[in-house]
Amino acid sequence: MKKNQSNHGLAMTLLKGRTFIVLIVLLIFFSFAAPNFFSQNTMLLIAKHVALYGILAIGMTYVIITGGIDLSVGAVVGLAGMVAGGLINKGLTLPMFGVTLYFDVPLIVLITIVVGALVGWLNGIVITRFNVAPFIATLGMMYVARGLAMLHSNGATYSNIVGKPALGNTGYDFFGSNIMGIPVGAIILVIIAVITAILLKFTPFGWHVFAIGGNEKAAKLSGIKVNQVKIMVYILSGVCAAIVGIINSAQLVAAHPASGESWEMNAIAAAVLGGTSMAGGIGGIGGTIVGAFVIGVINDGMVMCGVSEFWQMVIKGLVIVFAVVIDQFQRNLQAKMALQARGEEKETAASNPGGNLA
Amino acid sequence: MKHTRKLTAGLLAIAMAASMAGCGGNNASSAAPASSTPASSAAEAAKPLTGGGSKIMYIITPSHSNPFFKTEAESASAKAKELGYEVKVVSHDDDATKQAELFDNAIADKAAAIICDNAGADATVAAVKKARDNNIPTFLIDREINESGVAISQIVANNYQGAKAIAEKFVEAMGEKGEYAELLGKESDTNAGVRSSAFHEIIDQYPDMKMVAQQTANWEQTEAYQKVETILQSNPNIKGIVCGNDTMAVGAAAAIKAAGLKDIAIVGVDGSDEAAEQIKSGNMVGTALQQAALIAEMGAEQADQYLKTGSTGKDEKQLVDCIAITKDNVDKLKNFVYSG
Repeated sequence: MKKNQSNHGLAMTLLKGRTFIVLIVLLIFFSFAAPNFFSQNTMLLIAKHVALYGILAIGMTYVIITGGIDLSVGAVVGLAGMVAGGLINKGLTLPMFGVTLYFDVPLIVLITIVVGALVGWLNGIVITRFNVAPFIATLGMMYVARGLAMLHSNGATYSNIVGKPALGNTGYDFFGSNIMGIPVGAIILVIIAVITAILLKFTPFGWHVFAIGGNEKAAKLSGIKVNQVKIMVYILSGVCAAIVGIINSAQLVAAHPASGESWEMNAIAAAVLGGTSMAGGIGGIGGTIVGAFVIGVINDGMVMCGVSEFWQMVIKGLVIVFAVVIDQFQRNLQAKMALQARGEEKETAASNPGGNLA
Repeated sequence: MKHTRKLTAGLLAIAMAASMAGCGGNNASSAAPASSTPASSAAEAAKPLTGGGSKIMYIITPSHSNPFFKTEAESASAKAKELGYEVKVVSHDDDATKQAELFDNAIADKAAAIICDNAGADATVAAVKKARDNNIPTFLIDREINESGVAISQIVANNYQGAKAIAEKFVEAMGEKGEYAELLGKESDTNAGVRSSAFHEIIDQYPDMKMVAQQTANWEQTEAYQKVETILQSNPNIKGIVCGNDTMAVGAAAAIKAAGLKDIAIVGVDGSDEAAEQIKSGNMVGTALQQAALIAEMGAEQADQYLKTGSTGKDEKQLVDCIAITKDNVDKLKNFVYSG
């Protein structure tokens, strides 16, 4: 029986770290398959690419842990880019005063993030106060936000969003640049990941997020302000999406209203690959980041190998489903082990009835 | 750029359900079967279609979020108004189902004619036939369908000629030698294949031109940006990038700039204002302008002439040449209109 258990223990460790193992295997595989893959530059590049949907996936992880989903994040990426691009290129015209205001970049970034937060807040309000299923509420918001992004410029792209020194609004390209060779997007990803991981694991807010996903009724009965926490979570997701919108438009030096289309799917995939359960109550930021990197390594690795887009899609899809299959396998195993452990406890208790007294 | 990206499969079903819920109430003409009998088609082919009875011209295009289609719709609309028609401009968002519904709307509205940049070479045939059965002539612009004798005109940009013209400029800019990469459009899209084979018909004549990477970026800017960055990792020596459209070319130019590289020849196809800006600032070599405005105006003019005289006086299939745009003539390009 002992041996059996240690086998289970090893299996559990492997299963728990499965996404990480997949990531390592992929890295080794592509290092052999593609010359130049295993280099500092390529790794930084992957980090830069991963930053975009990785940040989305962080917000998404919170939302999914509460048992919800946020389909609007891709559209918010587009909207945020347009808001920032518009403020830089056109400024803010106030017809009643007949003036056009140009803000400096930090303020533009702040306004853009507030727009993202506002979208998230609206999502949260519709979901909690009007009791609309998150899938529907955020699906609606996806269309609304995308439409607003289009309306903002009447469908046109804001190109060359670098600002003018005379207007004092230069510096937006910072978010697409490198600091000592490290892409700013990747740095922002790390900062957000650390903050949100701490928030989720070590603060009452984080515990409440888990509690709501685990059993909403119980959470409510135990005094958690469920609605408030949920609204906060959607705001966080909106803010993450706005930040991605800023990074993306800064990298391209252009804001296109159709940017970010279907990125919510990559975000969900990263979260799920990282072990976040769509049923809610289970998940973590670390796992999500690893999941995002798995997708990123597959994407960039296959491009460097010259694999066709069609195969890339097939392989990405298989990896996602495979990850969830293993996820279920792990849960079953865990449940079985818990049962077994309980059985053993009873056994020891039975064979040594006076143990506690001695 | 010419085809907006479809939503991911998971969302597609929902999106379709939503759009059907949104437009489902409008089925006044559902009595007319989608497929016409050969006899009625033949009879109608003999005598010209006279329109549904009103003076309304329907202009159906893909989403105006793409400036190309916006220009197209606006040009056709302006021309039709000038010719004395009432105009209804609608978008099918590259969804063949939605397009069929819009055709139904036009039929119910007794439209005089339909000008359409269609949502699929095969999927559109039935809709055009249905309009024909209801005595409404359809004039296709920008994209063809896989059947002739159904629409009155099919006026399209000569993608092949355009891609070849700009490929020549590309080879010239590369000095007829060196490594280059190609960014393809969405691989399921006919135009992506047509443009790519036209590129290669020219480029492959030069033995010193070596393609080291070929990837699709799905007509999209962010994707092009990321793919070029990745391609540069495995092929740091590339001297040129040939792109299936301007959106990707602009993305590629941004990636090259971000990598701190200079003198990389980049070309695209479409002739967008964003590309024009990149050509002016020297980040791109050129693009092939598809004359969207001209094609759209031709559609409206031919519709008018056909309704008045019973004939357009032209073949059904008409190819409009593209214009190679480089720094020499980029100043004449604005909003897909070449004023040369």
